[in-house]
Amino acid sequence: MNYKTEFTNGTTTVEVTGRFTFGDHSSFRKLIEEVRGHEASTLVLNISGVDFIDSAGLGMLLLARDESEKTNTTVVLRGAQGQVKRMLEVARFDTLFRLED
Amino acid sequence: MPAGGESRAKHLIAVAQSVAQEDVDRLVQSSNIWKTPDAFSVKYAFGQTPEDFSSQRHFSFCIMPPYVGRDWLGSLIRLNCETFVECFPELDLDDLAPLSGKKSRPKQDLMVCLSTRSAYHLPVARKFVTSLRHRGLIGDSIASSVEMAVQEAFANSLVHGNLELNTGGHLSMDRFKELGEETERRLASANHGARAIILTARRRKNGQVVISISDQGQGFTPPDEQATLDITRKDSTFGRGLPLIRSLCQSVSFLRDGRTIELTFDDDQSAKLSPEVAFLSDLEHRLATSTDTGLRNPQNATILIADDTMLSREIIASYLRADGFTNLVFAKDGEDTLAQVKAHNPDLIILDIIMPKLDGYAVCKALRADPAYATTPIIAQTALEENEGRTRIFDDGATDLILKPLNKAELIARTKIHLENRLLVQQLQAYQERTQSELELARDMQENLNPAPEHYRGVGMDYGMRISATFQMSSELGGDMWGLVPIDAHRLGVYIVDFAGHGLGAALNTFRLHSLIWSEQFHDQTPDAYLQVLNRRLKGLLPVGQYATMLYGIIDKQKNVFSYASAACTSPVLGNTVTGDAHYLDGSGVPLGVIRDAKYETREVPFDKDSFLLLYSDALIETTLDHGQFLSEEGLLTMLQDTVTEGGADIDLAAQIADQFMDRAPAKLDDDFTIVSLQSAQIPSALSG
Repeated sequence: MNYKTEFTNGTTTVEVTGRFTFGDHSSFRKLIEEVRGHEASTLVLNISGVDFIDSAGLGMLLLARDESEKTNTTVVLRGAQGQVKRMLEVARFDTLFRLED
Repeated sequence: MPAGGESRAKHLIAVAQSVAQEDVDRLVQSSNIWKTPDAFSVKYAFGQTPEDFSSQRHFSFCIMPPYVGRDWLGSLIRLNCETFVECFPELDLDDLAPLSGKKSRPKQDLMVCLSTRSAYHLPVARKFVTSLRHRGLIGDSIASSVEMAVQEAFANSLVHGNLELNTGGHLSMDRFKELGEETERRLASANHGARAIILTARRRKNGQVVISISDQGQGFTPPDEQATLDITRKDSTFGRGLPLIRSLCQSVSFLRDGRTIELTFDDDQSAKLSPEVAFLSDLEHRLATSTDTGLRNPQNATILIADDTMLSREIIASYLRADGFTNLVFAKDGEDTLAQVKAHNPDLIILDIIMPKLDGYAVCKALRADPAYATTPIIAQTALEENEGRTRIFDDGATDLILKPLNKAELIARTKIHLENRLLVQQLQAYQERTQSELELARDMQENLNPAPEHYRGVGMDYGMRISATFQMSSELGGDMWGLVPIDAHRLGVYIVDFAGHGLGAALNTFRLHSLIWSEQFHDQTPDAYLQVLNRRLKGLLPVGQYATMLYGIIDKQKNVFSYASAACTSPVLGNTVTGDAHYLDGSGVPLGVIRDAKYETREVPFDKDSFLLLYSDALIETTLDHGQFLSEEGLLTMLQDTVTEGGADIDLAAQIADQFMDRAPAKLDDDFTIVSLQSAQIPSALSG
């Protein structure tokens, strides 16, 4: 998993690419620490470039949500496609996150 | 592929060059989980990376180096081999003996054994599933489900099994951080990190695929109530893996006290061999059993008369003999019929339905189940008037039906029709067989137009470059070709060609162009002048409407430039091996063979000690991937950057890009796929010289 972050007008946008699986915990932790400093009102995770996610990846998205709740940040999952979209649907993540195309 | 089941099998073993010989010997002798015959002779082939091994040889084992990286993981799809083992000093598989103890242990179609510390950082599930697709064990359509299930099972075995980490419940960020640190510690420890994880796959006769994942941890069999746990539960951060697995495969079972998980997937239609392949294997079988009994004249046909009463057999025989059919064999009951069919491989069977031991229905079914007799005409004779029996015998595979008492004229007429049909079918099959073998020959010849790994590796070293290439031909013949042209001590020429279309026409054109390229002695001309000459020659040879795209370029190691001219080639990518930054070069220009006096332009870009160049055919960017889209221009650059930043400069770039492409592309490509990378490299042997 790789990512790029951008912070403009109170919104942090993170572009995540590659595979997002159990082995990616350290890059994910770095990501969370990086965006924590922004104190943004919205955190957009653009996951259109993610081609595979496993259940651990889903768990990490939940962690991101827990973290964001502490600072009243809304988490948006944007652009999921293929297998990633299927996983989010199966796990009913639409009830936990704002999903955008 | 027969993998040396005999007692004195010869084994060819692919070995990573960096592995010490004594470690190799130790590994090969210890046959805890892989089957080695009692007496066998071993030959070794060594390679620096999987790219160095011949794609035309079968290997009994592939011995991968400790700390396997993505390059060696790629051997799962590159090597004609079923068993892949990472050779690491602590490898100890004694606890797996119960798995291998059974005499009836089925042969695995794929087995991969890795250390936990290597496996943790690799996309093992993905490569395993790509390999299953390429081996025809599963179809593209279920690959995504299989990958998800294997990924979850693999992660469980690795994290909970071998690393013995507990990730249950609702995790705080702090706890998550602790877990991450503990993971790193355990991966580095000899105890946890050196445990093995083993993935196997085999296809059952009924088409089901069984995948097992074994670890060397404490073992954990989830209680049954966990089966009902919901994937959508909200109270836990992790732990959705098992319900997910259960939702994706037919059945899940735990063996070895929960240290092996076994997943079963149902057959999927598209996984079956494609009709051509099935036809071919059928044909091979047929040729093996009946090459010399090929039917030339219906009168020479061997006819089997199966009837339990001697009088009936004699009547039928006398009718047939009177009409010139003298090659007759007889069977007196159902079992005898099957025996006689095996002994004589008749061209036609006249079969009574009511017979002792096996009746005609059962005989039909048994014969049709054997590919060797799937098309042998069977005329069933019956006194049955009722429709039910008549329908049933056709369902069971009879070709035709004739009513008792037999009418001589009708019997002869039906016999002749079915024999003539068979004759025609056999001729057609023989023709197709011949065409097929000629096509195979043409494919081999075409593959040989491209440089072999030992050649381009060696040439690369001469110029202080690491060269990597992957070529995969489409199901038909294709029109791709690439090559290297050493000019002098500092300048290396390189070309890549793609003829429009594929099939025989395109293939012939690649041969034409190949001989033009190698008969011309002015490679040291500027690239534009070179393409101009080639174009003029080619225009004279090619029929109207046929054309090629091509790039010819020269890397000059003294001036540190890459100069090239392009005839509508895909845009080459130039990048930096340190930062991974890359951009497209201009690939525009008139295709070869379109207009006689086409002009080309030589473009020049810097190419220094940190540069890499990527050339590829359009299959890379025009194949529909698993997300339903092509690999975008930006997508390729991201892939290159990620690959370079993760792997460093010392990697086979083209091979790694090809591996990632294969993970997401259909197993069978519609077009030829060629990818070539040239990287400046610090090659010790070149420097010392």
